[in-house]
Amino acid sequence: MKGIRSFLDRLEPHVMSGGKWERYAPLYEMVDTIFYVPGTTTAVAPHIRDAVDMKRSMFTVIIALLPALFFGIYNTGYQADPSGGFLQHVLTGGAAVLPMILVSYTVGGLWEMLFAVVRRHDINEGFLVTGILFPMTLPPDMPLWMVAAGISFGVVIGKEVTGGTGYNVFNPALVARAFVFFAYPAEMTGDPVWSLAGELTAATPLAVASAVQDGDAGLLVSQAGYSFRDMFLGFVPGSVGGTSKLAVIAGAIVLVVTRIANWRIIAGGLIGLIAAAVSANMLAPASGNTMLSLSPINHLLAGGFAFGLVFMATDPVSAAQTDRGRWIYGVLIGVLCVMIRVLNQAFAEGIMLAILLGNAFAPMIDYFVLRRHIARRRVAYEKQ
Amino acid sequence: MDVLRLKKGHDIVLAGQPEKRLVDAGKPARLKIRPADFRGIKPKLMVKEGDHVRTGSPVMYSKTFPDVYVTAPGSGRIINIVIGERRVVKEIVIDLDRAETFEEFERFDEQAVTSLSPEKIQSQLLRSGLWPVIRQRPFSSVADPASKPKAVFVSATPTAPFTPDSDFILDQDATGFQMGLSILKRLSGSPVHLVAGTKTSNQVVTEAKDVVFHRFNGPHPAGNVGIHIHHIAPIRNRDDIVWYVALQDVLRIGRLFLRGKLPVEKIVTLGGESLEKQHYARIRHGMMLKDILRGNRIGGESRLISGDVLTGRMSAPEDALGFYHDTVSVIAQNTRRDFFGWLKPGRHSYSTTNLFLSKLFKNRSTTIDTRLHGSQRVIIPFGNIESVLPMDLLPTFLIKMIIARDIDEMEKLGIYECDPEDFALCSFVDASKMEIAEIIREGLEYVEKNG
Repeated sequence: MKGIRSFLDRLEPHVMSGGKWERYAPLYEMVDTIFYVPGTTTAVAPHIRDAVDMKRSMFTVIIALLPALFFGIYNTGYQADPSGGFLQHVLTGGAAVLPMILVSYTVGGLWEMLFAVVRRHDINEGFLVTGILFPMTLPPDMPLWMVAAGISFGVVIGKEVTGGTGYNVFNPALVARAFVFFAYPAEMTGDPVWSLAGELTAATPLAVASAVQDGDAGLLVSQAGYSFRDMFLGFVPGSVGGTSKLAVIAGAIVLVVTRIANWRIIAGGLIGLIAAAVSANMLAPASGNTMLSLSPINHLLAGGFAFGLVFMATDPVSAAQTDRGRWIYGVLIGVLCVMIRVLNQAFAEGIMLAILLGNAFAPMIDYFVLRRHIARRRVAYEKQ
Repeated sequence: MDVLRLKKGHDIVLAGQPEKRLVDAGKPARLKIRPADFRGIKPKLMVKEGDHVRTGSPVMYSKTFPDVYVTAPGSGRIINIVIGERRVVKEIVIDLDRAETFEEFERFDEQAVTSLSPEKIQSQLLRSGLWPVIRQRPFSSVADPASKPKAVFVSATPTAPFTPDSDFILDQDATGFQMGLSILKRLSGSPVHLVAGTKTSNQVVTEAKDVVFHRFNGPHPAGNVGIHIHHIAPIRNRDDIVWYVALQDVLRIGRLFLRGKLPVEKIVTLGGESLEKQHYARIRHGMMLKDILRGNRIGGESRLISGDVLTGRMSAPEDALGFYHDTVSVIAQNTRRDFFGWLKPGRHSYSTTNLFLSKLFKNRSTTIDTRLHGSQRVIIPFGNIESVLPMDLLPTFLIKMIIARDIDEMEKLGIYECDPEDFALCSFVDASKMEIAEIIREGLEYVEKNG
């Protein structure tokens, strides 16, 4: 450990302003502060500070993602060949998922560093989250070059062109996913993509329900062999990280207890989804659209709604940033998710677009909340 | 009596709490006046090196309000006037006489005050140099004598770390407290809001006359005047003026009128783990920190702060205690770098967040020093800042508008109600390590100049 410190100390003068590698200061800062928490002291009041920092905060998100990731690896192997043993599932899943994560981190990380050096800003820890979230939203047999293309688009267009972390309008991991979704539809949609075994078609529960007209969606899902228990635990085909609701709930508990995610967004999303699904159920008899009859429980358990709501809608930067706005934003995402799933048969899975639309509306929601706040203050002033 | 309970905020658990034991700091050889303490006063010197001054003799006046004087806190010879860059007077050093001589001011008894005219009160306060104890919001500068405040605030419930307990101070000697309150009431012609905590029990506070009495309860910053003003008489715009006076300065105002001499005593706390002894000390205004701390060893590498750890000023032993400060804090200074510190469970890391193991132990076995514990990043609104600000404000948006220098939006979002001291905890908890209190200060200065 002494060696690392003395190596970094020897390097430091060269990256300080005036040094020969001055441009690479952000890279040095990244490596240096990963190994050692900065020893800088406060220059102005307050003279003491909380131990919390961005690394700790973002790392907590990674911890929250771990149950979903581990289960995702296992389930990827399980879906490929349910007859194998536990070890085989883990090995098969790992062989498929880990390279995706590695590619996402490496390629995205390179872009991140390039922009940090060119734009002269520090490398933000937010990428730690983006880099792992993106592969977890993909089908497990995604070609690696598409993962690379996706994360490149997400980091560059989704984040860096608007000024980098903290200034992004959309969640960069979702921008990456939306890019591959529209650019390579063959790899992202349809039944075969959700399983590693190519010849085996594995329709996701949502795809099953939306495939037939004039049916009973709930019945279709259960007839396809998807019990509530399997969907809750996650033994169904789907994106890598999003199948197990149990793992998502574990992550949600971590995020809500640590207050990294705002519980209002999650609560709003659940309320929105349930309300919209109940309304859809009421309309169901009047229409041939099978999806209208999908019950709220099926909506909650099927697909990536839970994963998206807990890990992506709650991204503090792209979400609404006022407490009241967070409620509205959450409800909006829940409602939009059901609307997209039900009304647009081309997108069996609605959460990605719902969150992106939510991101787009977030600044406007905040704007109105802000105006209300200002109006309320004025009334309070006049009352005195 | 209703109690206003505030939930947001945080009481920092700091080791080295001062014991309730009053020690006399003794007689210093020299005193210092630091013009920069008086925000809003543009100093114009009235003395030169070698001049002799008495306690209460004018030393400088303000170019902005020529009636406002700063007077000597002791009698003696001016031995040094330190001039800094751009001819700014940094400090005025007085070498004290053996026997103190005083400027004489008019004396009144308790009864006489009730018939004093506001003009008379004002001129006595201005001439004695006690006027600057009255400060005004917005902008927290020395009150403009021509201003007409809508209210006056006195906080008897300081909540910042190590700040002196009001009951303890008043138990020592409460002479002049009621008189000071009555004088403020007559002077301003507006309500005087006296805010106590739920535990405040001294009768001069709880049974004070000529005041509107309030009780506030909650973690820091519930005792800050800024929070009281926000909940009782919020400041609407830059011309909506509120005055505020510290508890010990109310005593001084009363004593000036009772005794006809400028009172120069104050009781301060000495706190912090790096000090050998932590207790209350009786000192006089203008004393240097090294005199206040005489006979009190400072252990290890540490930082000396005039004021509390959240809002004070980093100081050298030769610096005088700030005019408005009533705390001397000494905390450990440390530049150690923890190997993978951000990955540690954090049993010993002080945090208000639920991200460290220490939370389960209520931060009991943590140590706290001057380290930042992280690198500066852009704003990521996790809600940490909001959780320690008991005001109906939207701090994240206000900060963005300050950075954007948008005066119109700053005003609408309530910049005039803000003071850096109320945002100190926001700087403390921010995961991006942004200097939020400094940003608020910059915003206020920008609005004051350009608004």
